[in-house]
Amino acid sequence: MTEEKSDKTEKSKETTEEAAEEKAEETVEETEQAEKAEEGGEAKAAEEKKAKKSLPKPKAAAKKKPTPRKDEKYLSRNFEIPNAHNLDVYEANGGYRALKKAMKMDGEEIIEEVKKSNLRGRGGAGFPCGIKWSFLPKESDVPKYLVINADEGEPGTFKDRYLMELDPHRHIEGCIIAAWALGIRYCYIFVRGELQFAQRRLNQAIKQAYDAGYLGKNILGQDFDFDIYVHPGAGAYICGEETGLIEGLEGKSGQPRMKPPFPAVVGVFQAPTIVNNVETISSIPFIIENGGQWFADMGIEKNGGPKLYGLSGPVNNPGVYEAPSGITIRELLERYGGGMRDGHELKAFIPGGSSCAVLKPDALDAQMGFETMREAGSSMGTACITFMDTNTCMVRVAARLAHFYHHESCGQCTPCREGSGWAAKVLDSIEAGRGRMEDLDLLLDMCDNIQGNTICALGDSIAIPVRSYLQVFPEEFEDHIKRQSCPYPAWSKRKTSADSDAA
Amino acid sequence: MPKVNINGTEIEVEKGTTILKAAAQAGFEVPHFCYHPALSIPANCRMCLVEVEGARSLEPACYSEVTDGMVVETKSERVIKAQKSVLEFILLNHPVDCPICDQAGECKLQDYYMAYDAQESRLRAEKNQKVKVFPIGPEVLYDGERCILCTRCIRFCEEITGTNELTIVQRGDSAEIRTFPGKELDNPYSVCTADICPVGALTSRDFRFKCRVWLLQSTDSVCTGCSNGCNIHLEHFRNEIQRYRPRYNPQVNDYWMCDAGRLSYKEVHTDRLLRPMSNGAALNWHGVTETASAKLARALDDDAGSFGFVVSPQASCEDLFLAKRFIEEVLGTDQLYLGGKPDGFEDDFLIKADKNPNRQGVKAVFGGLNDFGDVDKLIDDIESGAIKTLYMMETHLPADAETRQRFVDALDKLDLFVLQAQHCAELANQAHLALPACSHAETEGTFVNFDGLAQPFEQAFAPHGDSLPHWQIFMRLARAMGQPLTYTFVHQIRDEMFQASDADENGEPAEAQAE
Ligand SMILES: Cc1cc2nc3c(=O)[nH]c(=O)nc-3n(C[C@H](O)[C@H](O)[C@H](O)COP(=O)(O)O)c2cc1C
Ligand code: SF4
Ligand code: SF4
Ligand code: SF4
Ligand code: FES
Repeated sequence: MTEEKSDKTEKSKETTEEAAEEKAEETVEETEQAEKAEEGGEAKAAEEKKAKKSLPKPKAAAKKKPTPRKDEKYLSRNFEIPNAHNLDVYEANGGYRALKKAMKMDGEEIIEEVKKSNLRGRGGAGFPCGIKWSFLPKESDVPKYLVINADEGEPGTFKDRYLMELDPHRHIEGCIIAAWALGIRYCYIFVRGELQFAQRRLNQAIKQAYDAGYLGKNILGQDFDFDIYVHPGAGAYICGEETGLIEGLEGKSGQPRMKPPFPAVVGVFQAPTIVNNVETISSIPFIIENGGQWFADMGIEKNGGPKLYGLSGPVNNPGVYEAPSGITIRELLERYGGGMRDGHELKAFIPGGSSCAVLKPDALDAQMGFETMREAGSSMGTACITFMDTNTCMVRVAARLAHFYHHESCGQCTPCREGSGWAAKVLDSIEAGRGRMEDLDLLLDMCDNIQGNTICALGDSIAIPVRSYLQVFPEEFEDHIKRQSCPYPAWSKRKTSADSDAA
Repeated sequence: MPKVNINGTEIEVEKGTTILKAAAQAGFEVPHFCYHPALSIPANCRMCLVEVEGARSLEPACYSEVTDGMVVETKSERVIKAQKSVLEFILLNHPVDCPICDQAGECKLQDYYMAYDAQESRLRAEKNQKVKVFPIGPEVLYDGERCILCTRCIRFCEEITGTNELTIVQRGDSAEIRTFPGKELDNPYSVCTADICPVGALTSRDFRFKCRVWLLQSTDSVCTGCSNGCNIHLEHFRNEIQRYRPRYNPQVNDYWMCDAGRLSYKEVHTDRLLRPMSNGAALNWHGVTETASAKLARALDDDAGSFGFVVSPQASCEDLFLAKRFIEEVLGTDQLYLGGKPDGFEDDFLIKADKNPNRQGVKAVFGGLNDFGDVDKLIDDIESGAIKTLYMMETHLPADAETRQRFVDALDKLDLFVLQAQHCAELANQAHLALPACSHAETEGTFVNFDGLAQPFEQAFAPHGDSLPHWQIFMRLARAMGQPLTYTFVHQIRDEMFQASDADENGEPAEAQAE
């Protein structure tokens, strides 16, 4: 394992495509070996699993398909084509072909393909898209709705905006296919208020689609009517939670609903509703075009398809990149991100938005999949990775995140409303040099008391990261308390809200 | 019907029953703030979390429905930890100003803290500060710091009154209750929000700082504000009513009552006729009984046919029953008139136009209302001399101010005017004899509401001044006039009366669900 690791590190320094292919092959080989070994004896395998908890081995990796070369692009295919947001350019590059194909299939067939594709929700929770679709009642007295979650507010996450700004027709095509498959009449795209450019691009594309007969009445001459509306959000993170979003769409303040009933049964305007993330729906045309199996093959067990990854922090090439599901974080960092910038050493990273647990560099070889990231001790989330270097104060990061969730808590339920502010206050005091050792237990206890006890998952989004910083970097918290100050000059020189609170 | 096991007790409940209700049926209290049996279920306070076997996280008992074979623990270690933590979170920014809080003593937060938490605060930072006295409506004040954001008040205005005045502004721990722009919490039932507020965040302006609740004595009574007859807790201290609070009765008023009715207790303590009087001079009961019986006997001798009697729908059935016997057996007149308050505001919820609590009682006791003359006839009959002696129960007349003035002016024409009433209402001075009657708070009796439901009310405290229940006054006079009507207890009258009438007696009010 160690051997393999050093080998990989070495390799990943080279950026040629050959190297990438070679490595991918190696991964497959390695996995096969591992599978054989596991067959040998369950007890042994379990033991192995335990031993490698800190550094999980890539498990059940890509079966046949090698990692595609860098130019094998789908979701981001049109990003660099000038004016791809215009219908003619989009069509010239194969646009709306998938829709025409889909409209020759019936709904059940399409749902089957989506199920087969292993497309997981790209909004963070990773719910299998095909299964969600199959929950929508077939018959309904009221029109059914498709709601696109384009609220993209998770700190560190910036992938959906690219899809909306640079390839809006792909998304619209996905919406129409979903509507065709599910018997949906109306669609709302709930776009984060700040993303005004994305809203403009979407509206422009929707208008073009209406003019071309892709939207409106009798689409492509068939007995199929479908309308899309763009609805700007009003700037609350909680409107990204699907039922908070539905409340927002209905004109109320974004307070998530109790589930059940789930939106598929009682959603917007009390009607059956499918809520999907932008990227989830933008992936649909590729599934139709190439088949569910093709999509599933481009990934690992239960996680199919190409996927956008965001890289931020002190890396050489921060940005959004497309790669298959199941790629390791190391590969993303080294090959796409170009490694850490000179003079910056990797200390920690958050794999998929701020509500995921923080990980240390020893987890770099974890694969980007919902199950594999869970095994690595965190979650895949939105797959937009935030890298942090050794100059980053972990107490400060935890405090900053707690402030974010405190600010964004809708305030409905007690543990999240009160706990988020309390956690922020305690973390601030540790960062400001006023912490006590018992505060660490208090924080952990607080996290336990929030997690699982709230209406929506925002409560968990406070508990999980805060707990992870305390557990992954305990010495740093203790250090703050022993010194009664923050050891990171870069941070302590800056005036923090904690300081002004103390004044 | 699903079977559930709650803390080891097997119980079978209706399909769709929530865990909280099932637990109550099995005899286990699940603490709760936001849940109110008459309102929708937001499950936001998280006080009612319980452990369901096989579920990953704790479930809100108020929201989750039982399923067959479910195994629920309401007292497990996990549940106790969650309860403690929710109370700790609620108290985190709570001012705990119980010593100056009207809710203290009937505060769910205080009670639950003692029962489910009772640990020291672990907060070292400062508490958040919010508005302390916000005039949210003409009858209600709001304290943002005490508010636990359970949204009971909002849901009341949405679901019960449909007036939608309230909402939450801001979010997270800055959230507060406010009215929508340009609105006030001024619906006719606004003080109910203070009743259902589990803490002292909404308080009634009328009751504020008036009396500590643990000093109050509570009597089951019926509101006299209108003919709906809302069931109330009549709460009093030192012979004075401090407030009315609705008493649960699903047949009549559920958990609610209107603001006007709630404040109608003030009539019990204003403008009371407290001493028997003759031509403006105070007498004792002995003296006034003699004078009255002599005068009435003389009038009867003179001209039995010119006797008029005003019956009041404000009086209880028992009072009316004796009034009827007095009229028939002592006075022997058939010139009857109906008094009572004029009609007023009505809505399609509780408030009825008929502002008298017992018109149906009059109907039941006198066998209909057809024999009664109205106010115009009363005035005509006085002016024409058809009536020379008028005996009037209570001071109210269903008349506008002008008509009432005509009545007052006409009184001069009478040879004898006997008033038997709670209030002076400028008539006492004109009366040749004024006999003080007591209010519904000072005696017991029965009102029949608009719907024909006979509802008993109990005595809260001793009669004010020298006042007596109407029925006792009639008994005194009858005895003095040689026609004894003999009763010792109200229930004797009641028994006799119900034999004679067809009104249904109210059964025991339904058991209120945990509010
Ligand atoms: C606090 C919170 C914020 C969320 N924000 C977003 C968001 O900005 N965008 C998004 O797509 N999903 C977000 N989600 C996830 C959605 O609730 C939901 O799972 C998703 O829209 C479902 O679509 P998918 O299955 O296609 O991923 C959020 C969830 C929570 C709990
Ligand atoms: S967990 Fe937080 S954000 Fe979610 S409903 Fe509760 S208070 Fe609102
Ligand atoms: S609401 Fe309850 S706990 Fe709060 S101050 Fe009033 S009595 Fe005390
Ligand atoms: S004012 Fe009272 S009833 Fe209304 S939300 Fe606050 S605590 Fe609940
Ligand atoms: S959450 Fe159940 S009573 Fe409030």
